[in-house]
Parts: sequence; structure tokens; C-alpha cells
Amino acid sequence: MPEPLAVLDSASKSFGTVSAVVELSLSIRGGEIYGLLGPNGAGKTTALRMLAGLLAPTSGRATLAGHDAKTALAKTKLGYLSGSTGLFGRLTPREMLDYFGQIHGLSRREIRERAEVLARALALDAIFDRRCEILSTGERQRVSIARAVLHDPAVLILDEPTSGLDVLASRFMRDFILGERARGKAILFSTHYLAEADLLCDRIGFLHYGHLLREGTPAAIRTSLGANTLEEAFLNLAEARGDPA
Amino acid sequence: MNLRHVAITLAKELREALRDRRTLAIMILLPLVVYPLLSLLAAQVATGRDKQREQRPSTVAVVGADMADDALAARIRQNTTLFVLLPAGTAADIESGQLDALVERDSRDAAKLTLVYDASRDESRVAEERLGDLVAKGLPDGCAPSLTAERRSIAPQARVGGYLLSKALPLFVVLMVLLGAFYPAIDVTAGERERGTLETVLCSPIRRFDLMFGKVLAVATLAALTGVLNLASMAITLMQILRLAAAQSAVPDVPWGHALAASLVIFPAALLFAAAFVALGATARTLKEAQTLLLPVYFLTVAPAMAGAIGEYRLGGIAAWIPGMNVTLLARDLMVGRVHWSGGLSALLSTLIFAVAALAIAARIYDSERFMVPAPRRQLHAGGAARNTTAGDALTLFGLAFLLLYFVFLPIERHHLAAGLLTAEWIGLLGLVALFARVSGQGFAKVVGLARPTGRALLGAALVGCGAWAAVAVLSEWLLPVPREMLEQLRRSLVPLDGSRGFAGTLLLVAVSPAICEEALFRGPILRGLRTRLDAVAAAAITGLLFGLFHLDVYRLIPTAILGVLLGWIALECGSIIPSMLAHFCNNAILIALVRSRLDQRMESLGHRAITFIVLASLALTSVGLVLVRASRREREM
Repeated sequence: MPEPLAVLDSASKSFGTVSAVVELSLSIRGGEIYGLLGPNGAGKTTALRMLAGLLAPTSGRATLAGHDAKTALAKTKLGYLSGSTGLFGRLTPREMLDYFGQIHGLSRREIRERAEVLARALALDAIFDRRCEILSTGERQRVSIARAVLHDPAVLILDEPTSGLDVLASRFMRDFILGERARGKAILFSTHYLAEADLLCDRIGFLHYGHLLREGTPAAIRTSLGANTLEEAFLNLAEARGDPA
Repeated sequence: MNLRHVAITLAKELREALRDRRTLAIMILLPLVVYPLLSLLAAQVATGRDKQREQRPSTVAVVGADMADDALAARIRQNTTLFVLLPAGTAADIESGQLDALVERDSRDAAKLTLVYDASRDESRVAEERLGDLVAKGLPDGCAPSLTAERRSIAPQARVGGYLLSKALPLFVVLMVLLGAFYPAIDVTAGERERGTLETVLCSPIRRFDLMFGKVLAVATLAALTGVLNLASMAITLMQILRLAAAQSAVPDVPWGHALAASLVIFPAALLFAAAFVALGATARTLKEAQTLLLPVYFLTVAPAMAGAIGEYRLGGIAAWIPGMNVTLLARDLMVGRVHWSGGLSALLSTLIFAVAALAIAARIYDSERFMVPAPRRQLHAGGAARNTTAGDALTLFGLAFLLLYFVFLPIERHHLAAGLLTAEWIGLLGLVALFARVSGQGFAKVVGLARPTGRALLGAALVGCGAWAAVAVLSEWLLPVPREMLEQLRRSLVPLDGSRGFAGTLLLVAVSPAICEEALFRGPILRGLRTRLDAVAAAAITGLLFGLFHLDVYRLIPTAILGVLLGWIALECGSIIPSMLAHFCNNAILIALVRSRLDQRMESLGHRAITFIVLASLALTSVGLVLVRASRREREM
């Protein structure tokens, strides 16, 4: 069995007196999609940010491909996609890919070749030299994907990647995630669309008030909680704990 | 047009805007506080400059006549407050600065004379003006013939041009560099954070210091470019205006070499402002928040730059180390082509040191998790639940207290000093704190930090209050000497000459009231509010600065600010406002006692050895006090 590429080991994170994540442990291997699910404020983004090296755990560890997530070495293995797409509005997709490619240490030729491949795969040709600020939401999301996978990372962290997307763009995103799994990537993504997670994920974790309530395959979780859908399963779980869902 | 819809939209937009406290701060409170404050400080600097000019006699000489018999020379010799008459002199002496002006008598016509001066030097212009007045007043009756004076400047037109430009350009250039750094710094920090791009960059293998340094250099480049373009454009424009104004007389030239040299100050200044703004902008979560944070710093930098432009200070000593002022003075000196290299190097060195310090702070902020920490949810206090004092509350309270002081209580003080002071303290300051405590639902004791102090805390605070005044006074006198007249005025306000106020009355007015009321505001909600966003040292330092500014006196700014920092530190260490009140009372009571017993005047005549002894004793007492205050914290924490 291959070594896990993304690991949170008893990782906790507090902001002042508020505990956002409490002793969270999870690991994702190559070719696996892990969905971190939970309502708003559950601690999903904080968990993802610890793995992305943006936040240091208050206690515990976060590693990517065996390296501390805060290190530059770990970040070379990471592709991160945030919900806000995070594009430089005054740059074109080509200029942006050039900037990130250089940060990742790719040569000019490598950047050009990868950008051409991604432009074809993500249908970016027509918008490649337009400023990002005038792109539609779907186009922006495709450019963000190109930015995240430009350096061909082993781990992909996607923070609510389908939030705010229309049906076609959501479908495109789902196909992209499945395609990356087929290419052996370890994929961790957060969402509060439970049906989407049911479709995509090999394993899921229910996060609630910073605690991991349950982890397993979607089918196993549905069965163990006597539910037909993940949404029903989550509500049952929250109810059993006496928490408002 | 549907007027109803217009009205509905207007009402909704105004409601939204007025509920945004930052909009209120920028649109209303800041200008109301900043402009009176800046104008007041500028007026004091200008008054100080005029007094300095008046006090300095002009060094002049009369040539071409027998000095012993010359009536004009006799009049100059008699007027010892305005002139020092040298037995001889040449234009070269004026050039070298040994002489301010020269009177050349015409050997063929006794009624004619020429005033020789350097139009590119202030002292020489003053001397020329004084001599001109003396000549214009004519000689006493029976001393005919009357005199006619011609004026001749030895300065080349390019240097005169440099002098004229030096009066306005340095300040504008510094302001433009500041402005050039302002918006780009906000955009690359808070703007990037608001747009969500920062998160993606930080996930890449780029060192945070590299990222920050790249941003600082980008902002500095834009700021420097703004400065250079403005300098060139304004130099040409001003010269065109001067040429139009002086159509018939000699036209000054643009000293392009000097202007180019003056532009050298733009680069270190741009680096300093860029680093400071990027550091501050990095702590903001939104563009609006960044604006609110940067604007006070912008104005704080403008104030010394403006003082430098108005004050005619020499570039040297402390002036070379004050950000904003030092580059303004250096640009001025470079513009006229007279740079004291030690002062110039100090100005450049200090600017670079501050820039490096700002870079280090920015690097620390970039290395922290401040970017990623979610914004704290605003605590609502509906239903009577209390909320804590915030940094925004602190600045708003300072602004309100300042407005009350400036527009309400200062006019009362002008009519009746005691009544104005008492109402300002008890109603303007303490009343404001009480009102805030009520509105915020916290209660007075919580807002001001009223807690029972330990015995050590009280003893330590009393020692600081009794000891610090001497060292603070000597330090501030060294940094910015108070003009004698202003010192006398301060003494008279403390202890009236007519004996109309007894010791108890003075103690109530000048020691008890400030100790209670000023502490309640400054070391209460202002310090505690700032502490929620800053570490203890920074919170105490900014509170001290605000405390210094609140006294509306440029000469008392340094001692009150230092005292304010000490009091803030005492309040934070002791966890109670009572020790800082005690220290404030002791400090003011000792000053009253010194003035009443005229010991302060006697101290002025003391020698260096005695002063050194007093300062060392003061420092020793203050140090023991601070150690006790520190120990009280450990005692409290145990």
C-alpha cells in the first residue's frame, strides 16, 4: 500500500479562546478522493489551510509527501484551489501562469509547454490573453484549475471548488477531479454539498464544531447511520450528539 | 425620474454609510481632528521660527566710508539687538556665511549706498530687510542728506531659483512620495487579501520575506516615480509662475543640478514609506480597514515634514532623525546647494535605518498568521450584554475628546483658565469615559481598568512619578528647547503671579484633575482598546503619542509623550489604573512645588555636574520604580 501523501496527525488549531479544529487525524493516499464535509463554521477551511501550510497547527502535525506542510518542499507538491478562485484581475491567464510557474521553479519552456497543454484541456485558448477581471465565473474557475495544476502537484486541496458554480461548470469541476484521481493524485476537498461528495469521494469525514464525527466510505457511513443519503446521515449524527445541525 | 425612489435610495445609502464607523472616522472625525491639530502645531513652529529670527542679530559691515564718522554705521552699532557690526567685510564673506549683509557707501555720492546680500540665504535676506528698514527710516533730523539704497544680491540666479524652490518643493515632494506609496501599499496588501489572491500565493513555494520585500520594492518604485515626476513638473511650473510674477526684474533659473540632487532623497524616503505602509497594510483585512490604519500614519508623517518646511530648522541633531522632517530638510539644503554633510548623512542613514526597521516589522507580520486568521466577529451587545473596548473605540474616543477640547473647552479656557481646565477635565474627559461606559454596557470600572493594586505597584508608580520628571525634562530640553517666553507663560499658568490661586487650588487644577480624568481616558479605554490590536509596548507608545498630541503644544509634545508611555506601561503592568493615576499626580505635584518655590529657575543656572547628578538620581529613582511595578505584575500573576 502506498504511503499517504497528505496527513493531519492529531492536528488542533485555536484562534485565541476559540477551538476551530480539535485533534483531527486523517490521511489521503495517491489516487484517492477524500471529502471533508460539514456545515459552515465546522472547521473545514481551517483543516485545509493547515494542510496547505497556511496555518500552523496549535498542536499535532500536518505533512505533505512526508514534509512539514509549512516548508517550501511540501508546497512544491501542492496544488491549492480556494473558493474565491484567487486570480490577479489585472493579469491575463498567460501572465498569471507564467508568474506561478516561475515561483515553482519551472523554466520558461516548461511553463509554455504546460500552459499550452492546460489551455487545450481546460478550453482556455480563447481567453488566454484577456485580463482575468473580465472573465466569467466558470472561466475564472478553469483558469484557477490551470494555476493549481500547472506544476503537476501530487496533492490537490480544493476548498469548496463548486461553490457558486452553475450546473455546467460544476460538472466540469467534478470531471476534472475524477480525471486527477485517475492520474494518481491525492485529492482533499471540502464541500457542504453532500450529494456531490457522495458521487465523488472514496472516503469522507464529517466535521462538526472542529471534531471529526465519523470517517469512512460514503456507503459505509450511510449504512452505519441507517440513512439513505449523506445529508440524512449527517443530521442523524448531529441529532445523536444533541447538537443543532 | 422617480423622486421617491431617489429619496429611498439616498436614505438607504446614508444609513449604510453612517453605520460604517470607518467611513465616519475618515470622513468626519479624522479631518476635524487632524486639521486643527496640524494647524496648531504649524502655528507654534512658525511662532518659534519668528522668535528665533528676532533673537538672532544680523552680522553686517559698512565699507566705503570712514566707520568712525559714518552716521549709518553709528546707528547700526547702537542697535545691538538687531545688528553685530564688523569693522570690515567683503562679498566673499557673505558667500561664506561669515557676514549676513554689507553696506557699500558710494565714495562719490554720500547719499547713495548699496545693500549687498545673498538672496539665497534666509539670514542674509533678514539682514538686508533690517538694513533696508534702518535706511528707510532715515537719519535723525539735521543729518541730511537722506539716503537712497540699491540692493544687490551676490547669489547667481540659479541659486536664487533653488532657494525659492526650496521653500515649497521639498514638502510637496515628500507629500507626493507619501501619497505615491499610500494606495499601492493598500492594494498589494489588504487589496490582495480582499481579492483572495494572497492565499494562493502563500500556498506556493515562495518565502514570505521574499514576497513582502518584492511588494515593498514595487510600492517604493511607484512612490519614487511619483516623487520624481512631481518634482520635475512642480519645478517647471513654479519657475513659470515666478517668471510671470517677476516680468521686469531678474528671472531666477531652475537649478536643474540641485533639483536632481534633491531628488536623491526621494529614494530612501520612498523605501521607508513603502515599508511602513506595507507593514501596516498587511495587518488590515480589508481595503477600508487599511485606509483607516494608514491615514493616521500618513498625517503623522506629514506633521514633521510640514514643521521642517516651515520651521527653518538646521539639518542636524535630532532633526536629522525625525522621519519626514529629515528628508524635507535635506531636500531643502540640496536644492539651495548648501548641505552640511554630517546632517545630510545622518538624515539618509536614519531614513535607511527606519526603513530597515519597518522592513523587519513587515517581515514579522508576513511571517505570522495574521493574514489567515479570520476576522473576529463583532460582538453585539443587544439585550444589555456588554462588549469589550476595541481599537476603533479607542481612536474614536480620542477624536471626540480632542473635538470637545478644541471646539468647546479651549474657548472657555481663553476666558477663564481655571473654569476651562476644570470643565475640560471633569466633563470633557471623565464625562466622556462615563458616557462610553454606559453606552457600551461595560460599566465604568471595567472601561477604565479600576482594580485594587498591590502595595508594590503603588510604591513603584509613586517613585516613577516622583523621579522621572527631571530626566524627561532634560531630555526634551536637549531635543527641542522651549523658548524662554513660552516657559514663562507655562509657569504663570501653573502658578499665577498675582497669587490668585492658592496651593490647594493649583493642586486640584493641575495635579488631581489630570491624574484622575486624563488617566481615566488615556490609560483607560484608549490604552485598553489599542491593546486589543497591538502588543503592550506598541499600545503604550501610541497612547503616549496621543497623550502628547492632546496637550496641543509642540514644545510639550516630547515630555508629555514620554510620560504618557511610562504611565501606559505602569497601567498595563499593574493591571489597574490607580498606580498610573498616582504616578501622574506625583509628577504634576512635584512640578507645581518646583515652580512655587522657584526651584526650577534656580535649576537653570546649575552647572553640568549638578544637572548630571540630578538626572542620574532621577533615572535611579525611576528604575527602582519600574522594577517594583514589574515585580507587582509577577506578584499579581502568582
